[in-house]
Amino acid sequence: MSAGYRQQPNSARKDGKRVAGKQVFPPPGSGGSKPVMKERDLNFIPESVGGNEPQPAGSHIHDRIRTGTVVGKPLPLVDSNAKVTGQAWYGDDVRLANETIGKILRSPHHYAKIISIDTSKVESLPGVIAVATGADSPNSFGVLPVTKDEHAMAVEKVRHMGDLVACVSAVDEATAIEALGLFEIEWEILEPVFDPKKGLEDADEPIHWRGKYHLAKTNVQKRVFQEFGDRSLVENPYSSSHGKWTMAGVHHGFTEPHAVVAHWDPNGRLQLYTPQQVPHYTHRALSTVLDVPMHQINVIRTFVGGGFGGKSDPFPHEMCAAILARKSGRPVRITFDREEVYWINRGRHPSNIEVKMAADDEGRISGFDIDALIDGGGFASFGHVTSYYNGVLATAPYELGSFHYTGARVWTNKPASGAMRGHGAVNTRCAVEVGLDEMAEQMNVDPIDLRLANLLPPHSRTITGFRITSNGMREALERVREGSDWDNKFRKLPLGKGIGIGCGFFISGSGLPIHWDPNRFPHATVHIQVDMDGGVTVHTGAADIGQGSTTAVAQVISEVLALPIEMIHVRSHESDTSPVDLGSYSSRVTFMNANAAIRAALEIRDKLLNAACDILGYHPNSLVINDRRIYYKHDPAIGVSYLQALHKAQEDKGALISSGSYRSPPMGGVHKGAAAGLAPAYSFSAYVAEVDVDIELGLIKCTNVWAAHDCGKALNPLAVKGQIIGSCHMGLGQVLSEKMVYGRTGHLQNPNLLEYKIPSIHEMPHVEPIIVESSDPEGPFGAKEAGEGPLLPVLPAVVNAVYDAIGIRYNDLPLTPDVVFKGVEKKRKKLKLEDATELPSPRFTHGPKSIELQKALVKRSEEHKKRDLARQTTEDTSPYVNGVLFGFDPNIPLEDQVDGWRMATEPDPEQLAELGLAGKAWLKKEQRHMGGEN
Amino acid sequence: MLMPPFILHHPSTVDEACSIASDLIKKGEEFDWVSGGTDLLANYKWRINTKPHVISLSKIPGIDVVSNLEIGCMARLSNLEGSNVHPMIAEAAGKVASSLIRKSATLGGNLCLDTRCFWYNQSEDWRRSIEWCHKADCGTGSDCRVIPNQNTLCVATYQGDIAPVLMVLDASVHLIGPSGERVMLLSDFYQLDGMKKNVLEKGEFLLKVSLPKDSLRRVGSYQKLRVRDSWDFPEAGVAASWFEGDRNSIKVATTALESIPRIHTDEVGQIIDDGWDDQQSVKSLAGVIRKSVKPVNNTALPPNYRRSIVQVLIKRAFSQMK
Repeated sequence: MSAGYRQQPNSARKDGKRVAGKQVFPPPGSGGSKPVMKERDLNFIPESVGGNEPQPAGSHIHDRIRTGTVVGKPLPLVDSNAKVTGQAWYGDDVRLANETIGKILRSPHHYAKIISIDTSKVESLPGVIAVATGADSPNSFGVLPVTKDEHAMAVEKVRHMGDLVACVSAVDEATAIEALGLFEIEWEILEPVFDPKKGLEDADEPIHWRGKYHLAKTNVQKRVFQEFGDRSLVENPYSSSHGKWTMAGVHHGFTEPHAVVAHWDPNGRLQLYTPQQVPHYTHRALSTVLDVPMHQINVIRTFVGGGFGGKSDPFPHEMCAAILARKSGRPVRITFDREEVYWINRGRHPSNIEVKMAADDEGRISGFDIDALIDGGGFASFGHVTSYYNGVLATAPYELGSFHYTGARVWTNKPASGAMRGHGAVNTRCAVEVGLDEMAEQMNVDPIDLRLANLLPPHSRTITGFRITSNGMREALERVREGSDWDNKFRKLPLGKGIGIGCGFFISGSGLPIHWDPNRFPHATVHIQVDMDGGVTVHTGAADIGQGSTTAVAQVISEVLALPIEMIHVRSHESDTSPVDLGSYSSRVTFMNANAAIRAALEIRDKLLNAACDILGYHPNSLVINDRRIYYKHDPAIGVSYLQALHKAQEDKGALISSGSYRSPPMGGVHKGAAAGLAPAYSFSAYVAEVDVDIELGLIKCTNVWAAHDCGKALNPLAVKGQIIGSCHMGLGQVLSEKMVYGRTGHLQNPNLLEYKIPSIHEMPHVEPIIVESSDPEGPFGAKEAGEGPLLPVLPAVVNAVYDAIGIRYNDLPLTPDVVFKGVEKKRKKLKLEDATELPSPRFTHGPKSIELQKALVKRSEEHKKRDLARQTTEDTSPYVNGVLFGFDPNIPLEDQVDGWRMATEPDPEQLAELGLAGKAWLKKEQRHMGGEN
Repeated sequence: MLMPPFILHHPSTVDEACSIASDLIKKGEEFDWVSGGTDLLANYKWRINTKPHVISLSKIPGIDVVSNLEIGCMARLSNLEGSNVHPMIAEAAGKVASSLIRKSATLGGNLCLDTRCFWYNQSEDWRRSIEWCHKADCGTGSDCRVIPNQNTLCVATYQGDIAPVLMVLDASVHLIGPSGERVMLLSDFYQLDGMKKNVLEKGEFLLKVSLPKDSLRRVGSYQKLRVRDSWDFPEAGVAASWFEGDRNSIKVATTALESIPRIHTDEVGQIIDDGWDDQQSVKSLAGVIRKSVKPVNNTALPPNYRRSIVQVLIKRAFSQMK
């Protein structure tokens, strides 16, 4: 450290001794082991600002702040060292002095009233420190403010086997386990409901009671009706499909079981350590349940060993730990067994989905008619939202003539379903994409061309009013078609081998913050502090659950300030230091937090540039910010080091601080439920899957996946590819082998990782991730989500590939070998074949009409491609309105449209008789309309 | 997940093992044998039929021998893969569970594998909530949950991979205990029902497996059905072997379809008596064996399917026959 830069030049002593307060820094500025300034990397600076990076979708508002430092470069996640060296601290790694071990007593009954609980024997067991029951936690909570139906422990009744009844903390685990056997409980067993169809009917004792809003005496938690567009279009379809799907519930299967440590510090503040995706919700719920103001609670998010939506609810065991710790004055640690993870569940809803769709003789999609009955299990969780998502997230990427959706979520006496990667969109998407394939088959046209000819362009408005900005759907389809050699394979492979297509569409951040008015408070806030050492400390509530949100935030700040990423230190673990943030769900983090971080970084950047201007005498606009140095644009020799500028900026005020926030723009319609599915941007994806079907055994092996995902701009291509491959894995699990099996007694039969069959690496196909960059106008440097959307297309791509391989359409997920075998046998018998290996392979059977239609589709998609390219680069972002393809005039208000264009959020009385399964919920009246409870 | 407490005994000779066992029997203490622990310890963690004493065979030298005519009970499955044992044994051993488990798991453990059932292989809380089952009734005399309204028969499924292969190679097992050593054909070792499992007397354990010399001339294959090739138990398994060119030597055994693995001597004999006519005979044999096996609904895949698939597995097991 000889020629070091000094805080005040010429003030160092010649004898090498340190002068008080005169810190020596390595040259030139800071940056530790990298003394020499890197050159600007023009390959990662966009063309619009003089770099070499191509911009397929034109310039972006963030172009001028690109420095070529890290954005767009493959980068290992910043927390990966901690993880690969075993130093990351997960929930169960937290060890506090004097800790006790908490265990939860769980219900052995599916549905029962608790008449009494006697804890005296438990309390007298030596080693037991504290005992708590529902009486200690009368306040209810829930992830959504509209459906607070959970308690820390059962207050009046238990709602599923494994529901929390009581808890105990003891000096060690063995004592705690022993104590669980000493509770004496008197039960009144109630009649359980397991079948969601039964949940639609009146029950003696509905699982929850919503007072005047309760739907008759049913177990319906939420019902939805939506109808948009011109329904007359579907009356005489040229082609149609009708799929009745049964989809099993699936679980996230994250590696780390839930774990929590609670501790009331000497000042009486709660310190709660938990692997949470959404620490803020836990924070709120703890406050409610414990009757303690939020500022007296510090929620510390540990490293999260996988979340996928399964760690985004506030959980009752978190409350239990806090209650036990408060009672005993000692820290309490609760770690789940794998089985308990399944009891708390929040996995994907078991669903009965019916999709009818129609197309006209021009190959336009005249309507989707979706009915989704979803099994919510014992609690509401995110179910209110899921009920909408099952319909509304199917309204793009295609232009629709009409859209009709009925959905219902029912409570049953099973572990609660909730949010899981691809929340609410996955099952319907599968049904819809398979339906499209079926229609293409009927029309004898290529299913990719059918899709390409019906896409919404960039800057468009979906049939229910979502605002689509960037849209890389077309490019994604084209690239998987090319990558997979589709045209030479589809309908041409031998029996048992098949190829299939599926598309996806997902929100990039939920447009509405659940707990507050988006017009008043931001979605995300990021604070930055830069002190004399030059290191940048970032405070954010973005919860890194392995997806790399910490890295994304660090990256964008590194990019704006042109500092090496190791100088950016993200502090995101504690609610005490993090600005309020909604955490990791709905694929919001990169979009919202990175945008907030950019804003905060820009403030620091301005301060640095102004300080450099003070030193150099050149206007900030003529200064270039680059690797730890700021210099004059026309003569790089004239410049200051980053530290010089920083210290200048710090004069008289100390550390630089800034705050940036993100708020989504006003958007969307005004109808009931318009906010569900609303997002500031949407991601698009298209996958082609190739399968080998062992037709005799019914075993499917997915061999290849070409996975194109439009993430706007890959801030970190390595992370995006990881998300795509991981999504593929998760989706393959759902389509091929994963299933929560409920037996004849209503018990979950496979609450363990041996019988809940997550594919291993051995079952993984080769995945070719293809990144499509549509450069979103509002995303950080153009980025959109890549965490959930990439899961959606895998399922239909595989189901469609299986059809291509053996000519059988399956509507039951997962496609376990017995399901496949059954279908094969049925077809074999129908065709009176001796052997399954004699089944015919599906082939195109072109006639004059289909050749003509195929040509028309290709022609239309070529025209649309030109339209899309123009819309992508134009500065006019006024939306293309869904329906123009069908002659809808976007300039005429909806109510004046002549041809029956309508929107409705409740069924007309005459419609009631024809509604689907979930639609039957509309046959019931709310209590307040029945003269019941008011 | 906490292991329940037990006293672990570490004999260093076979004799010592036997004497520990006989001491415990005299004292009226219950115990289990453990070798690799991949089956037993998982069950212990779930508190399934735990015992206060466990006798480990892992410190006894010499009982892990692997040769083409003799395999010790402590031979690790990973050591059988790629060794000079009969290729069918290596093949079957390589198909057991995952490579990680095969590092610990042993041949003896695999042959004495506890039978499995999704009403049984569950945690204590889970089993309590169904009020236990016949196989682990906790003193309540509970009914079987697979075939309700009876508590005399356990139909838990044997899901070992190597037994059917050893059966069609005419392997014998050497059992040793306080009352001495006995040798029998492996096909006589297993005994119904799902609780009894095999003929081992209290205090006896399976010491080694020996194979007749002519087993080395046998050829054939083992066909295993499972959802994930990476580590699942078999949902159905078929082993078949024969001497090249000698149709009368055909032997077929099945696993994972019933409470014990079974060699189908009668079924094969019936077809051979009718005169073996390759393809057609394989088909008839498949039909006969399909009829003879009685899987129940207690594993991942439904019994009807598993039963039907036996035919395909048999066909494939014979596909190499010249």
